[in-house]
Amino acid sequence: MAVAYKIVHWLCRIGLAGIFFYSGYTKIKAPLEFAASLSAYQLFPAKLIFPIADYFPWIEILLAIALLIGWKIRYVALAVAGVLCFFLCILAITYFRGIEADCGCFGSGDRISPRTLARDFTFLLPALFLIFEPRIRMWRRARPET
Amino acid sequence: MRIARTNLLKSIPSLFAAIALLPLAAAQEINTEQILGGRPDSPVRIEVFSDFQCPACKNFYLDTVRQVLREYAAEDKVCVIYHEFPLKMHQFSRLAARYSLAAQRLGQRQWRAVMEALYSNQSQWSLDGSIDAVVAKVLDLEDLKKVRKLVEDATVNDSVNRDVTLGNQKEVNHTPTIFIYDGSKEQKVVGGLEYPLLKEYIDRIVK
Repeated sequence: MAVAYKIVHWLCRIGLAGIFFYSGYTKIKAPLEFAASLSAYQLFPAKLIFPIADYFPWIEILLAIALLIGWKIRYVALAVAGVLCFFLCILAITYFRGIEADCGCFGSGDRISPRTLARDFTFLLPALFLIFEPRIRMWRRARPET
Repeated sequence: MRIARTNLLKSIPSLFAAIALLPLAAAQEINTEQILGGRPDSPVRIEVFSDFQCPACKNFYLDTVRQVLREYAAEDKVCVIYHEFPLKMHQFSRLAARYSLAAQRLGQRQWRAVMEALYSNQSQWSLDGSIDAVVAKVLDLEDLKKVRKLVEDATVNDSVNRDVTLGNQKEVNHTPTIFIYDGSKEQKVVGGLEYPLLKEYIDRIVK
């Protein structure tokens, strides 16, 4: 069972790191495109658009690196989950306000839709696993053998 | 082995020269006829793939491009290039593209006038295809005759096809799709850009 946990643990870390690294890379490559998406959400003040577009991708890259090297993994997973929740909320608000905007998650041409919301929610699951992994293990150990 | 190594060492400077000349080669590919404003060697180059019948393209042209032309292209800080990308779903956009390219062959002034008229009156001609009537209002009789003749010219249609092919090569799927070049850096933005955002971005480069 311990081996299975280790495999899932590593899959979650590598998967999330890959997603965050790719997401950060596409935004660093095209900051204006990400700024256009942020502006289209109609939620951020104009003065904050470019600072967010400039710095947020580097946070994603740093989180990806931290996930790979395993530094304070639970706190990093918490930060990852926080970022994902934040953007999930923003995307959901934009979608339910009826604004046609690009998700801005991985470059252009990705309109906010139930599909993008479901996809981003799926990314949350490995982060939640990494946060609650010790508790899941404890719970599994405490459960009486049948 | 030594000969091969010597040849390899000799080829290094030419390799560096080729890499250095790459942006220049890209700049030389610009068709100056398609420049709506600014000079080809401006610090920022904006290339737009647009469809005359698409509402987002209309908004982008009227709200953003016109201001960029006035405030940056006139000072040669930005070069604006327009490509036709008529979508199959729009009944009259190819005909509008042909009118636009026909006017482009007469000169930048006529081209801008026709573009302005087509975007400003989009809701009118989109219903019944009355493009000629819209164009007739902004051109003098002599230019209008030339444009009407050029619209039927096969080479104008070929120019539209060339733009569409170029768009397909650049993986354009939506209109407007905007490519912004700052030196050798290329950025693709799909679906339009608001002027304040684009202005802030251009200012960061040119000031």
